[in-house]
Amino acid sequence: MAEPSKGLLRAQEIYQDRSHRAIELREQGKKIMGYLCIYPVLEMMTALDIVPYRILGDMREPITRADSYMPAVNCPFLRSCLDLGLKGKYSFLDGIVTTHICDVGSSLSGIWNYTVRTPFSHHIDTPHTLHETSLQQEKGLLQDYRKALENFTGQKMTTEKLKEAIRVHNEQRVLVRGLYELKKQDPPLISGVETIQVIKAIQSLPVDEGNELIREVISEVKERSDGPPHKSARLLVWGSILDDTAFMEMIEGLDANVVMDDTCVGSRAYFDDVELTDDPLDGLSRHYLMDIKCPRTFRTRDYNDVRKDYMTDLGVRFSYLRDYARDWKADGVILESVRYCDTHGYDVPSVRDYLDSIGIPSIYLEHDYTEGALAPFRTRVQGFLEIIG
Amino acid sequence: MTTEAKPRALNRLKSMYALRAEVDKMYEGGAEASEEGKPVAWVMLEGWSNAILNAMGVKTVFPENYSSLCAAQGVATPFLDRSEAEGYPTHLCGYARTCIGYSSRMVELDGDIPPEAPAGGMPKPTLLVASGEVCDARFKWFQSLGRFFDAPVWTLESPSPGLRERLTEGAHERNVHFLINELKAFVAFLEKLLGKKMDWDALEYTGGGTNEINRWRWEINELRKAHPGPMNTRDFWSAVTAALFRGAANPDVIAEGFHKMYDEVQERVDNGIAGISLPEKYRLSFEGLPPWHSLGFLEQLAERGWNFVIESAYRPPRPVTVDLSKYSDPMERYVRRRYRSLENSLEEDYGSEEAGMIIDEILCDGTSRRMGLKHIRDYQVDGVVLHVLLTCRSTSAGLNLLQHRLLDILKVPSLVIEGDIIDVSAFNPTEALRNAEAFEETMEHYRKVRKELGMPW
Amino acid sequence: MVRIYFAGIDLGSTMTKIVIIDNDEQILAYLVHHTGAEHRHLANRVMEEGLEKASLSIDDISFVMATGYGRINVPFSDHQVTELSCHARGIASFFPNVHLAIDIGGQDAKGLKIREGKLLDFVMSDKCAAGTGRFLEVIAATLGLEVEDLGDISLRSTQKASVSSICTVFAQQEVVNHLSGGIPLEDVVAGLHDAIAGRTARMVRRLKVEPDVVFTGGVAKNIGVVRALEENLGCPVLVPEEPLLSGALGAALLGKELTLKALAAGETIQTGKRRLDKATFFE
Repeated sequence: MAEPSKGLLRAQEIYQDRSHRAIELREQGKKIMGYLCIYPVLEMMTALDIVPYRILGDMREPITRADSYMPAVNCPFLRSCLDLGLKGKYSFLDGIVTTHICDVGSSLSGIWNYTVRTPFSHHIDTPHTLHETSLQQEKGLLQDYRKALENFTGQKMTTEKLKEAIRVHNEQRVLVRGLYELKKQDPPLISGVETIQVIKAIQSLPVDEGNELIREVISEVKERSDGPPHKSARLLVWGSILDDTAFMEMIEGLDANVVMDDTCVGSRAYFDDVELTDDPLDGLSRHYLMDIKCPRTFRTRDYNDVRKDYMTDLGVRFSYLRDYARDWKADGVILESVRYCDTHGYDVPSVRDYLDSIGIPSIYLEHDYTEGALAPFRTRVQGFLEIIG
Repeated sequence: MTTEAKPRALNRLKSMYALRAEVDKMYEGGAEASEEGKPVAWVMLEGWSNAILNAMGVKTVFPENYSSLCAAQGVATPFLDRSEAEGYPTHLCGYARTCIGYSSRMVELDGDIPPEAPAGGMPKPTLLVASGEVCDARFKWFQSLGRFFDAPVWTLESPSPGLRERLTEGAHERNVHFLINELKAFVAFLEKLLGKKMDWDALEYTGGGTNEINRWRWEINELRKAHPGPMNTRDFWSAVTAALFRGAANPDVIAEGFHKMYDEVQERVDNGIAGISLPEKYRLSFEGLPPWHSLGFLEQLAERGWNFVIESAYRPPRPVTVDLSKYSDPMERYVRRRYRSLENSLEEDYGSEEAGMIIDEILCDGTSRRMGLKHIRDYQVDGVVLHVLLTCRSTSAGLNLLQHRLLDILKVPSLVIEGDIIDVSAFNPTEALRNAEAFEETMEHYRKVRKELGMPW
Repeated sequence: MVRIYFAGIDLGSTMTKIVIIDNDEQILAYLVHHTGAEHRHLANRVMEEGLEKASLSIDDISFVMATGYGRINVPFSDHQVTELSCHARGIASFFPNVHLAIDIGGQDAKGLKIREGKLLDFVMSDKCAAGTGRFLEVIAATLGLEVEDLGDISLRSTQKASVSSICTVFAQQEVVNHLSGGIPLEDVVAGLHDAIAGRTARMVRRLKVEPDVVFTGGVAKNIGVVRALEENLGCPVLVPEEPLLSGALGAALLGKELTLKALAAGETIQTGKRRLDKATFFE
């Protein structure tokens, strides 16, 4: 019998056929819970032995069914998710958890319930701000979410189980950060393309299997001699969802390596840990509301401050990008977002202002989540590399 | 021989003009207020902050309305172009981009109101009150204005739960307290910013005043169920801005204006007069935000006998008497007066039996087949226009599903007209009118279908 | 004196351009051919023609630089650089004080922010026909006119008509409506030019409009669009004598720079295999 593959090869296999393991586990009696975006609290699923499974789109699959239920002037990634749902590609899910990520994301939750009709669904109305009241509200919402999951499984979510789940998910965060450390080298030991494959793979597996996979990848990559070649430019990619390697392949096909990212099939879910508090919901609500640095959250240093200046505000919102660029030695930043993504769209000029203020060159690429439309970006990215070279 | 001017197809209400004139006054005094050092807040339209700000003596300005005013006067394009020049993607909300362009222009003029700005323009803000409700633009936009102004931004949160989650035990009370605490935090912030205390009596007063306005608006809408429809959507849009944007500042005058409108509409109902001058061939509903730049489009449709008798956006809330006797905290009274539980709202709108069915649907499926279609039934609508907007995702996202539901459940067809709230280049009336004849045939067909099924219209 | 030669080839989706220069930057040969579906693989033939015109062989050329849409797989080039950098370099050689360059070709439009001949930033539009030469071609065909005649016709206009700039198909409909409504042809054509100029101006304002502003590409030959662009930008617009030259010239100049840099450092110049074979684009 053939040895099961490991490490990067296994990650690539899962990337190509994500649902294989989830369907296997379901046949063994596990419950599989789909979730949209990185705001649903995964620890609370794991605590009840539910397998979290990230709902993603497929940019290579033409959208044919979703247009009946969602206008074309909406985020193509979310339309693709709905399209796959309507085509039965998510029929193995026992449930779906959504949050108030953005307008269309929230709307999708209702449309999914109406059309795809996954048996269980729950929507967490995550607040937008970091007000003290918002934090309390988030905790209250997680209490309702806990009740809903307990009803769904018929099990009690004890504090012990939840604390253990937090520990294992935090372990995953540490492991992912460990993997990203290896991208600090020149050339990085793992490419931007491979990173997406690994992250997408772990977002398709139960957390402990995901942790095992990352450990394998780390030890393989540390010893490898076939890693990315040295290139003239090291880049950071910021923006909305990149759940397919095509965009990265376009960039890394040029004289550049993508050494760091701030995206959600990327670093965003993994760069802060959940604090272990006596009532675990305190640590979870703080992490999921406050730590994740997606533009859907309105972030200020002190929301009670009656003074305001733009550059200070930019620093509060984006200084972590300076740290990323410094620590991963990025020469430039590619900002990308899908067309019709409002949350990232409004931020683009501000992020660029911030990067200008600290002397880091950037370029903005707006794409429409199709593989075919990426070719024109080659010229733009190469032009950018010629400018910074 | 002189040629007579073609009579207008839309039959405008006289009372509408007085209300519209109130809105024109809204921008008066803005420049003076700013020069006198009076605090000026740019505010999003939501149900909460306006009365609070007025009670604290803050001049409120509404960029959402100002943008639609620019569009209606055909002067939004230079601001949109400016926004694009500043690097903002062109798919962002038309209201936001017009305002961003306006703000950029103000910076070019060292903070002065642009001389080309219509109606006196918007003065520079000392405070921006963003909103976490309804859509993302309403806080991302004001956050992005930091590029042009150093005014602090407060994003006012309010709950937007899913349907089933809203029915979870304890959720409603938690949401009420979330609102109360959030608004109290907002007041504390204002007190710090303005160096003065909140006038709670004034808040109690404006809260009551706006209720009166909504009550008249509700009654007018009840009259609009008549055949023929006595008031066209065009008049509704022209008047609604008075309620939304002047209500808290001038509640008595606005309430009186709507009272007069009620009398005029009642008279039309008594005499069988319609909101269009031609015979009412089709009764329609307009779903989505208005095409502010091309409101005259409804005139062209009225020429075909299309009477828009109702619309989805900006509908007045049902006036209910809420027993506030056990609540003494002024903010709690303010919140509980407005924020209703889903069970209560459904009960009031649909009656116990149907409300019960809707609640069962929601608990089972997380959604409802019946909810949200009542106005189509009540107004006996033949066809629905769905205004899918290039730059407004929150109002457009649900329209395709709505098209299915209208046909499946009520046998009412709908016509999608693509456009934008501000950007006239996204709207193609020629194309839309080309589809009108075919849509009339569809509406005729479904009238027959409904008749065969024994439906009341 | 030893003369060395450099060649630049700009394989656009509509036109293929070749420039051969010497080390004094004198242009020895310059050619423009339609690329088109049949001919796009035959850039080698254009190269051969250029070499013949300059009385040189391929081995006489120290560096062949390719640019343009088809730059990746040119078997006789030594290196490829984007048309963004090449246009910047080429335009600056004609207009050293250029700050903003606008290039409107058959299928795309670009704005380039340039300082002292160096590209600093850019904007591009290549997703749809509106705002490109194709826009004018389609509408000219609708009107039964030649594209080359549009410029002069528009100069006779006294009141330009309003034409949508967001979509070629919308614009076509509007043009037909205007004419059937009795609006004079020259006013409609002036409106078309205003539409394309307005769209271009909106795009390039992201880079800030500062003189000198230079306009290149096939559409720059249309005097009507030049005037409309000046009106929309509010400043004079300069057009080189041969507006299609800048990409290929810039490529040759960048090839020269790379060569001289290598020579000064005592390094060997990296050249390609120089097979005068067909180009294969991205297949």
